[in-house]
Amino acid sequence: MPGTAQPMPDSTTPEPLLVAKDVTRIFGSAYALKDATITLRRHEICGLLGANGAGKSTLSRIICGHLPPSSGEILFKGAPLAIGSARDALRSGIALVAQETSLAPDMSVLENIFLPSYAMPGRLSFGQLRQKAQEILSELGHDHVLPLDMEVRRLSAAQRQLVEIAKALALNAELVIFDEPTASLSPTEVDRLFDIMTRLKDSGKALAFVSHRLEEVFAITDRVTILREGKTVAESLPTMDLTQADIIRHMVGRDIGNVYRKAPVTEAANERPVALEVTGLSAPPAVRDVSFSVRRGEILGLGGLVGAGRSESAEAIFGLRHRSGGRVAIGGKELPANSPIAAIRAGLGMVAEDRRAQNIVPDMNVGENLFLAQLGKHKGFGRGQSARRKQADELVARLGLPADRMDASLLHFSGGMQQKVIIARWLLVEPEVLILDEPTKGVDIGTRQAIYELLREVADRGIAVVIISSDFEELLGVCERVVVISDGYTIADLPASRLSEESLTLLAAPRSSAERNLAFLRDLVATHGGSAFWGLIDGDQFVSLAVAEGKGEAKLGLEAGHVYPLQETPIPNALGQRQAGAIHEEDGRSTLLARLSNRRGHELGWVGLSMPSGKKLPDPEALTARMASLFETTRDEEIDA
Amino acid sequence: MSSPNRSFATPKFVSTLEFRMLGLAVVLAVILSFVSPHFFTERNLFNILDQSVVLGIVAVGMTLVILTGGIDLSVGSVAGLTGIVLALMLKEFPIPVAILIAVSCGALIGLFSGVLIAVFGLAPFVVTLGVMAMGRSLSYIVSGQRSISGLPMGLQDIVYTTVLGIPTNVIFLLALYVATWAWLTYSKGGRTIYAVGSNIEAARAAGLNTLFYSIFPYVASGALAATAMTFSLAQIMSADPIGGNQLELDAIAAVVIGGASLYGGRGSIFGTLMGVLIMVMIRNGLNLLGVSPFWQGTAIGAIIILALLAERLITWKSRRL
Repeated sequence: MPGTAQPMPDSTTPEPLLVAKDVTRIFGSAYALKDATITLRRHEICGLLGANGAGKSTLSRIICGHLPPSSGEILFKGAPLAIGSARDALRSGIALVAQETSLAPDMSVLENIFLPSYAMPGRLSFGQLRQKAQEILSELGHDHVLPLDMEVRRLSAAQRQLVEIAKALALNAELVIFDEPTASLSPTEVDRLFDIMTRLKDSGKALAFVSHRLEEVFAITDRVTILREGKTVAESLPTMDLTQADIIRHMVGRDIGNVYRKAPVTEAANERPVALEVTGLSAPPAVRDVSFSVRRGEILGLGGLVGAGRSESAEAIFGLRHRSGGRVAIGGKELPANSPIAAIRAGLGMVAEDRRAQNIVPDMNVGENLFLAQLGKHKGFGRGQSARRKQADELVARLGLPADRMDASLLHFSGGMQQKVIIARWLLVEPEVLILDEPTKGVDIGTRQAIYELLREVADRGIAVVIISSDFEELLGVCERVVVISDGYTIADLPASRLSEESLTLLAAPRSSAERNLAFLRDLVATHGGSAFWGLIDGDQFVSLAVAEGKGEAKLGLEAGHVYPLQETPIPNALGQRQAGAIHEEDGRSTLLARLSNRRGHELGWVGLSMPSGKKLPDPEALTARMASLFETTRDEEIDA
Repeated sequence: MSSPNRSFATPKFVSTLEFRMLGLAVVLAVILSFVSPHFFTERNLFNILDQSVVLGIVAVGMTLVILTGGIDLSVGSVAGLTGIVLALMLKEFPIPVAILIAVSCGALIGLFSGVLIAVFGLAPFVVTLGVMAMGRSLSYIVSGQRSISGLPMGLQDIVYTTVLGIPTNVIFLLALYVATWAWLTYSKGGRTIYAVGSNIEAARAAGLNTLFYSIFPYVASGALAATAMTFSLAQIMSADPIGGNQLELDAIAAVVIGGASLYGGRGSIFGTLMGVLIMVMIRNGLNLLGVSPFWQGTAIGAIIILALLAERLITWKSRRL
């Protein structure tokens, strides 16, 4: 979605607020940064891009005083900036909103916002602080969403980030660096964050935005600076003039073709045996009713928002999380609950979401990490390495792992390389089903492509692959089929070809809005009779999201969570024309359609009310008016600047 | 791949840290042989090995516990209690049976701690602190607050028999270290111990039996404390309810000097052996020099802290990365 970024209210480019020139930073004998340069201006959001290990975080940390540069010059407001510590940087008005938040989890929101003032001399007045916090939060448009007295540990990831931002503002920061702020946010939360960033920009602050996600860079930044191997390779290019391909070219220094490779869709695909079948899985509170199945050689995506219960479902399937109900079967054989070892021996592998916390054993070398699942799977007294030595050598060669550095610590490698080792760990034990939770999180785009290719290859060998991802583009690009989980329930199971990022976002939307819409549909049929539905029209397909039928009437024949070719629906004319007003079908049925859209004009699908022949439709105006009321509450919540 | 490294998934035999500790032990030995003519004599060197047996055996159990990220404060009082049990059993049963009972007692106490820690998730420090208090109190009660002597003379055989001129207790100690090294390095169980201490989540997700190997080190530690006490009794030929007092502190110090991390996952059995030898050598040297026992604690404490500080300073750069 390029083009949402506003161009400068231009003619004169504003004076730079901060210029970092030829910054170099050496760790040991390796250059983390070599002559990096960046310019940040007021009223501007500058994207800081680069592949993993390009030095984005190092540069951010140097600007914020977390790290001293080895050499180079930093000018702030035209004067050289001498930053010795993070505290100095904060005093000068530079703040970092970090990826891993730096909040004190047991303290309240209020205390966290003013934590830096604990380091300042003088008495604190909690009354004043409270008032000031309210001012800051209302400036951000979130004064009533964030209770000041709540402990930070009970907040969601998005709320914590809001606290970080408020903390930066409490210090009157003029320059705020956002280091991968969207990594763990849902699309709605990202929208909200971008609203806040736009506000900050409009109020004259200079912002830097570090991200891997190109769509977001196009959505929010005015300019971009791109790093490659510690060097600035593109400085302050206006985002408007760039395409995704331009940026990728700068980041990797070469063209990347289509990142995703799809399997040719064959009829035989549906004939293949089911490898993993999950029915009615429950592991409260996160997982309530999850069912899906995946065939051999298929790549299935589990989509949904962060916190929808996808990772928890995977953990419950694998046995890492207590499973209180439901059935999991591999190759038709039921899997006992709560036993990862039984799952592994039955042919299940899982790359868990958090690489550092759930996958890597830091005190073991690369080789031992590679053999860890084999250590668990094999029975016997020894380590069981010799049995898989040949496969290991092949995998190492296939994945381009450093064969001569197998005795080094895995922590010394990049995120992408670590992920390859973890995936190889599971391929080594030759699973029948491999579940990967966010396999490309924090992985640079080059390695990402390699991982996608690897997964395709793995699937082609007949392994069933399940991918959990919050990156909907990735999900649609890699998977053949997507199962959507929302609030712990599976709500849709669709071929990826019938979905778009927008429709997936909509399907994944939290249950509460779906329930609100369903209530609206029920209300419609209660007053007018007939059948009401809510869905998306995508090309020549209709994605049905919710359906309500009037009492005692013939059913319309649409079901929620299914996709129909338009011609096969009972109302092809109506859906085909996509017009407000009553449209009649050949059998005399008449349908009233209305477009549902959010405040940005983003289409959220169509709501329709259909009557069998002989029944009269209500006034179209009335329907539209009632729909508007459906969104009124949302409008109030999100105040525009 | 051109030349696959055959041993690419085996940890290094001796890490740089162990080399440094070996160096420290050698330097200490050289200094001590200069300041005391009695130090570098065959008799005294055997003495040092002999004095290392009790601490050395206990430190093996402590190493396993610390590798999983735990700690066992109860080894001293478990040694005391099992010593009393052994002395009483020796009056009723043949020597091997009595030893078996005492060692099982130690293992059972370890099982008790291990289950509380691994199954119920209690903090190792607190659980073993409690067991430490109970163990000591029980050894006073069971012994009737008296030391028990008059043990069968045959018990001395496990110390004073020699093979090729080496006493059996020293042979046992060295065999225990070699066996533990092999087990920790090449067996599924040994690697699981490291994985549990380094990242228990990842270990569990890889299908390792994390529950069993979280409990096992405490069982081993208890059993080894009883074993150590058996050798001690064979030397002293009497059991005292205060026996093994503060053994846990020496054992923890030896393991830490040997380079193990108290957070788990890092450490080695040969490092522990170096730690034990350094501790015993210092104490032995100070005795030879006639330093008052009241000053010995200060000296040993200072040397432990200095050794760790030096280690930290040497590796400072690599840690900062």
